[in-house]
Amino acid sequence: MSEKLYAQLIATVGADFVSPIADTSGNFAAALASDFYRVVPRTPAEVAEVMTLCARHRVPVHPEGSGRRPSPHSRDRDRVFVSTRRLDQIVQLDETSLLVHAQAGVTGTRLQEILAPRHLTLGDYPPAVLAPSLGGIIAVRTPGKSSARHGFFEDAVVGVSAVLADGRTVHTRVAPRRATGPDLLRALCGSEGTIGFITSAVVRIHRQPEARFASAYVVPSIEAAIAAVYLALREEAAPSGIRIYDLAETAAHFRGMPIVDQVAGKSKNGALMVVGTAGPTDLAACDRDLVASAVSAEGGETADDDAATLWWRRLHHGESTPAAPPTFQAMATPRKLAATYHAVLNAASAAGGAARAHISRFDADGAVAFFSVEREGKPLPADATAPHDVALIELCKRAATDAGGWLPGSRAARLDPYFAALRANLDPLGIMNPGALPE
Amino acid sequence: MAMPVVDADLLAKELYSLLGPKRVSIGDTDRDTYARDMWPRMLLARRAGQPEKHRPTAIVWPEDVSEVVAIVKLALRLRVPIIPYGGGSGVCGGVVPLYGGITIDTKRMQALRSVHNDELICDVEAGLGGERFERELARRGFTFGHFPSSIYCSTVGGWLATRAAGQLSTKYGKVEDRVAGLTVVTGRGEVIETDGPNRALRGPNWTQLIVGSEGTLGIITSARLRVAPAPQITIYRGYEVDNVNDGIAAIRRVLQRGLRPAVIRLYDELDTLINSFSHKTEDDNVREDQRVHELHRHAPQPTRATGALPTWPTPPPAPDGVLDRLRLFAKNRVGNLRKDAMLSGLGHAATFNRLADAVSSKVTKRGCRLIIGLEGSRIRTEVEAALTFAELEAAGARDMGEQPGLSWLSHRYAVSYRMSPMFRDGAFVDTMEVASRWDNLPELYQAVRTAISRHAVVMAHFSHAYADGCSIYFTFAATAPADNLPAAERLYDAIWQDGLAAATRVGGTISHHHGVGLLKAAHMANEHREAMAIYRATKASLDPAGIMNPGKMGLEAHIADASIPVRSQTPTDAPARFPLDEAKP
Repeated sequence: MSEKLYAQLIATVGADFVSPIADTSGNFAAALASDFYRVVPRTPAEVAEVMTLCARHRVPVHPEGSGRRPSPHSRDRDRVFVSTRRLDQIVQLDETSLLVHAQAGVTGTRLQEILAPRHLTLGDYPPAVLAPSLGGIIAVRTPGKSSARHGFFEDAVVGVSAVLADGRTVHTRVAPRRATGPDLLRALCGSEGTIGFITSAVVRIHRQPEARFASAYVVPSIEAAIAAVYLALREEAAPSGIRIYDLAETAAHFRGMPIVDQVAGKSKNGALMVVGTAGPTDLAACDRDLVASAVSAEGGETADDDAATLWWRRLHHGESTPAAPPTFQAMATPRKLAATYHAVLNAASAAGGAARAHISRFDADGAVAFFSVEREGKPLPADATAPHDVALIELCKRAATDAGGWLPGSRAARLDPYFAALRANLDPLGIMNPGALPE
Repeated sequence: MAMPVVDADLLAKELYSLLGPKRVSIGDTDRDTYARDMWPRMLLARRAGQPEKHRPTAIVWPEDVSEVVAIVKLALRLRVPIIPYGGGSGVCGGVVPLYGGITIDTKRMQALRSVHNDELICDVEAGLGGERFERELARRGFTFGHFPSSIYCSTVGGWLATRAAGQLSTKYGKVEDRVAGLTVVTGRGEVIETDGPNRALRGPNWTQLIVGSEGTLGIITSARLRVAPAPQITIYRGYEVDNVNDGIAAIRRVLQRGLRPAVIRLYDELDTLINSFSHKTEDDNVREDQRVHELHRHAPQPTRATGALPTWPTPPPAPDGVLDRLRLFAKNRVGNLRKDAMLSGLGHAATFNRLADAVSSKVTKRGCRLIIGLEGSRIRTEVEAALTFAELEAAGARDMGEQPGLSWLSHRYAVSYRMSPMFRDGAFVDTMEVASRWDNLPELYQAVRTAISRHAVVMAHFSHAYADGCSIYFTFAATAPADNLPAAERLYDAIWQDGLAAATRVGGTISHHHGVGLLKAAHMANEHREAMAIYRATKASLDPAGIMNPGKMGLEAHIADASIPVRSQTPTDAPARFPLDEAKP
């Protein structure tokens, strides 16, 4: 990095907040020798100034949220990683309109902690969805950032502030809905920092529910469970969470509990379905009853609540589960969900392994299936390295996509030229997170 | 700006070769017809006998996406504008061909191709009319839940192009909330499909970048839309609150408790007063039904039995006998008196507004009318209705029973049909729909109302409510004699200028669901400020030559010269459906 840019970055954010990533000693000579820098601005104005400087020096800028690491990038160019860590302010909490304006570095989890004493919440999103920084949640699309009760997280975003490649700051205006052209903030959401560096966002929030219920059901098959879910959703039930476990997954997650035998006793393809409902007490109870009715229509029956209560504690209160984390996940539309599930199980079995799954994050578009692939009874981690394990996982993933499922990170190739043109128009120097999304 | 000069005969010849002579017109009648939509400012000019200022060079009626591709490619080659045209029911001048060009009427693309029961998705062509769309869905046991007052004269594509809202949007959402994917012919003459489980896809949400673009990025030729099961029950009720602010608070309580009525509308004092003339007792209502039936016999009149869908009324019998003739004579006399009173009132708008305020709030003490309706599956809707009514009563609203709600339901399409008599009688009427978050909604109401009331008689209702805010729908009327068009246009422009400036000043949006077109184009920069850079970049991406509906939406009108390359894609080179085409990591 040029000495001049380094000095300008320090003048902008302070010496304590510009550091070479490979060398944190603060040694100036070492810093100049490094080509990766982390800059930690305190304000959106500092972000804008950093962007302007980087544009002037034609140095690529990579947003860095709570989890971003620079490793994937080649070291053939100077790069500046702009961390949102110090963009950690709640700008405004509007309890009248139920909106919160928070800076990009605030994690969803932290936001929940701030909202909770006020009996407010971001919504019934899985904790894993809310763990990253707000900027990261919005900028990166992964499947399942949704809740049957509160919809997709990105739809809760009603305004963003972002810095463009040339240092201009844009603020998309906040309104409950509008008819004034395209929804411009949708160019920034999901574009992984390639269109603009998100510095803050206005997000819808909700009042905490008056009541919560958790229920468990034993269902004859995965197909019956999926059918019951969509039957209930068609009847307008709005659960706060639904999960379906196949028999093997039930055994892995609820080892030693009577529910395992109940599912096994239902049928050899039996499944466990756990459902949470929330809201005004009457409505939450109504939703619970609608789900129970749908399950009954599909041949299932109500089970003891213990499994459901445990599932909810694990999901929202951090209680540990005995099962290892899943190997991979795939999303499928309602019509392709069962086929995707069976394709993966069959592929694993044919290759001498095994697979099990739970399915959750249901919404109108479909759901996410979390597969655990096993070899010789041992679940494989997502980052397995042994060639035969990698091959087995890839086989299962291919089976999922062949059956109509989608893996995280899929993209619309046909729209690539349009996206490239959009980027080129806003970032002619190509400094905004190069390497992310197709270029 | 300079636009390429188009030889109409040459253009027609080229278009004939694509579509044949029957689906291409360069005739004057068609060119006049397609020169405008229902923008009241243009209706004033029409009433004054002015010829249309901007007419399309040609009008075409393609029947499938490949024909649209061919037309756009031709337009690219000749560098002529393309103006998409649906039902022509817009009220902002969005289809006015400012620089001539080819107007593409989409109404011959009108198939409801499929309804997927298990995924609650339908695949529908853009030119299908709203009423037929709903009837086709109803026949299969579904609803799209989108019931704009223009349902008889608007198309699915028009809804999507303008981010329209239906009267039941509080439950079903605006049209952008119900779109899963689009097929679009871009300004490059290519077909793109934006479907896919969006939240699993990386990159921007192209569907939401194209919805609302009013033909400036491409032509929507079909869409995958989310449908809902047809409602099993509907429950309607009327309430009364002391004033607008109490009503706003009551609606907010309902929405923020997580309850979703299909419709919730709060009328301000003047609107309530005027409504009260037609919503009284059960007997009054029967008489009123008869009167409205006669006065607005061309307006659709739904009944409770037909649910949300309107039915065409049977025409009343012709006058027969002395009594009928006497009744007609008396009605005409009364009508003339009413007309004179109306014009007198509208001619002194500021005084009338003040007087109306006093009458409605101090004399009649009627407060404000609130209409609420719920529909959906029987069990959940009944539970939700009970909770909703309890919430309203806890907020101080007084239950007026079922009748006001049913009365609104049966007359809800009639309002649009009341406009023509106003124009005929020397006045004009228009509507301005703005929106904001709850915390400054009262301020928005006061600011816009004050701005308009200097020029016109104004009333408002609050509808399209969300947990975070609400839309306000102002209706205003003023005198505008047909023999002084410049004065009428100055008055009209002043109302909009002041009203929209007031909305922006207090943080509201300039449009909730009517769109922008020409009417609000000059306000787009103020609405979006720096973010217009993203719109311009999106335009440059999808329509680099600038041929798509130029001069609208506050975008610069500039058609690039032929050096902009057009990538080859033959009409038969329609893409495979999106899911087959994705790249996966």
